[in-house]
Amino acid sequence: MDAAVLTRGLTKCFGSKCAVDALDLEIAPGEIFGLVGPDGAGKTTTIRLLLGLLRPTAGRSTVLGHDSWQDAPAAHVGLAYVSSDPAYLGQLTAAEQLDYMASLRGLPKGAWRRVAERFELDPTVQVRKLSGGNRKKVGVVQAFMGEEPLLVMDEPTSGLDPLMQREFLTLVSEARAAGRTVFLSSHNLPEVERACDRVGIIREGRLVDVSTVSDLRASHWRSVSLELAAPPPAGFFELPNVRVVSASARDVHLMVQGDMNPLLRRLAAIEVGDISITTLEIEDVFLKLYDGSPASATGQGPE
Amino acid sequence: MIAALRLELRRSRMLALWLGVVVVLYAGGITLFYPVVLTNAAEYEKLMTIYPKELMAAFGIEGSLSDQGTFLNSYVFQFLWPLVAAIAAILMATRVAADADSGFLDGPLSTRLPRVRYLASGIAGQVVALAALAATMVGAIVVVDLLIEPNFPTGRVILAGVHALAMAMAIAGVTTFLTIVFLDRGKAGGLAAGILIVMYLLRILAAISPNMADLSRLSAFRYFDLKVLIDTGAYPLGDTLLYLAAAVGGWLLALWAFRRRDLAA
Repeated sequence: MDAAVLTRGLTKCFGSKCAVDALDLEIAPGEIFGLVGPDGAGKTTTIRLLLGLLRPTAGRSTVLGHDSWQDAPAAHVGLAYVSSDPAYLGQLTAAEQLDYMASLRGLPKGAWRRVAERFELDPTVQVRKLSGGNRKKVGVVQAFMGEEPLLVMDEPTSGLDPLMQREFLTLVSEARAAGRTVFLSSHNLPEVERACDRVGIIREGRLVDVSTVSDLRASHWRSVSLELAAPPPAGFFELPNVRVVSASARDVHLMVQGDMNPLLRRLAAIEVGDISITTLEIEDVFLKLYDGSPASATGQGPE
Repeated sequence: MIAALRLELRRSRMLALWLGVVVVLYAGGITLFYPVVLTNAAEYEKLMTIYPKELMAAFGIEGSLSDQGTFLNSYVFQFLWPLVAAIAAILMATRVAADADSGFLDGPLSTRLPRVRYLASGIAGQVVALAALAATMVGAIVVVDLLIEPNFPTGRVILAGVHALAMAMAIAGVTTFLTIVFLDRGKAGGLAAGILIVMYLLRILAAISPNMADLSRLSAFRYFDLKVLIDTGAYPLGDTLLYLAAAVGGWLLALWAFRRRDLAA
């Protein structure tokens, strides 16, 4: 089966700076994929390339089997999109804006009502009078009002309150159950962790890591804090997957990548007063990936 | 496409309404003033002799102001309409750049609606709004004419409105093309306005200095003289076709360019 989204060497440069650099990505139909990165990493540019709004400098991408630049309208038939900062015409009410987009997508008038109710959106208010969060709701409602097989969402929950974020995640789950593909970008890692099957991490336009959420967490780091009864022998913590972050006479802070057993076996030989092990949230993993050199970004360890 | 056109028309509504009010007040008011000119024709003729003939010609005033063609051509068509047409055409034609800048454009262009049809909706909206303004101007003259009976030739005034519409469409067509090229409302609108001002000055310069008369050929305003049409009924078909060629050419080029336009700012 064709990939829902496929990019090969996709590159977009603005002058000498490449916002997206040789991006290779493949998202299977029915998959929920999150593209994660901080502001300016290239997430929005990637999405605008997939939508055929930008012409690639090099490489190509297909959306639902259609070239996203050469054959954009055909690709758009099966796609719903919400931008990170949805822009509307201020004089329209939310209902008019949603009906306008519904019409352009071939949906019946009022197709948005069911989703709008779930988001407690008042459709009678002019868009210019809506708060930032409510404007975002209009965008999310717009994305979910149809049954297109592919949802492309650029930072869909930024600005939504926690209750609405939860509703959003429920809708993503429903989309997964319906076999729809979701491609979302975010810098909200807990949201990606909860919503997605796979995560791609983009940094300075390059895809530095793609893995499942569980693999991402397992292959990276745990924080271990020890309170020892006596100072440990020199070189006691020299293990291939262990880094000493800080060590005083009896308090030691370690970072452990992957398997904990080698460390636990070694600790059995000494008296430990207290131990605390924290599985890093994906957010911490993400921060570590961004902290320092490209080497650290590939999981070689924190600096 | 119908939804896009409907939205374009709605967005043009307030602009057309306010410019329409200006047009009605000015065109109607000037027409109301015509009997006063007729009554005091001798005084006006005397007044006109104060100014150099070439300068008056530069502003479209040739012959007697009591002459219907001279009156309407100089006070309405050559003064009011270029301003109204330029404002309306430039504001509407550059809208797509403003939409790209705000991010609004990403919404409709991520749907099944092809870019060409989206822009074509905007162009159709321009034509409808400009036609409404031209009809408003002609309507104001005709209605006041019916009320006070200066007996303007209604049919010829309507034909003058058709030519005026063609002129406005030419501004819109060229501005639309500039807008797609730059995708920047300020640049495209500023350039279009600048070109119009230069053309207007060229026309004046050519009228004032006979040895620079050929410069007027470069001015679009040279082809917007409606005195003869109103006085004699001779329609300037060639000039209308020239305007329409500029309009259609600009729009077609814009559609062609927009089809493959990278929407990066």
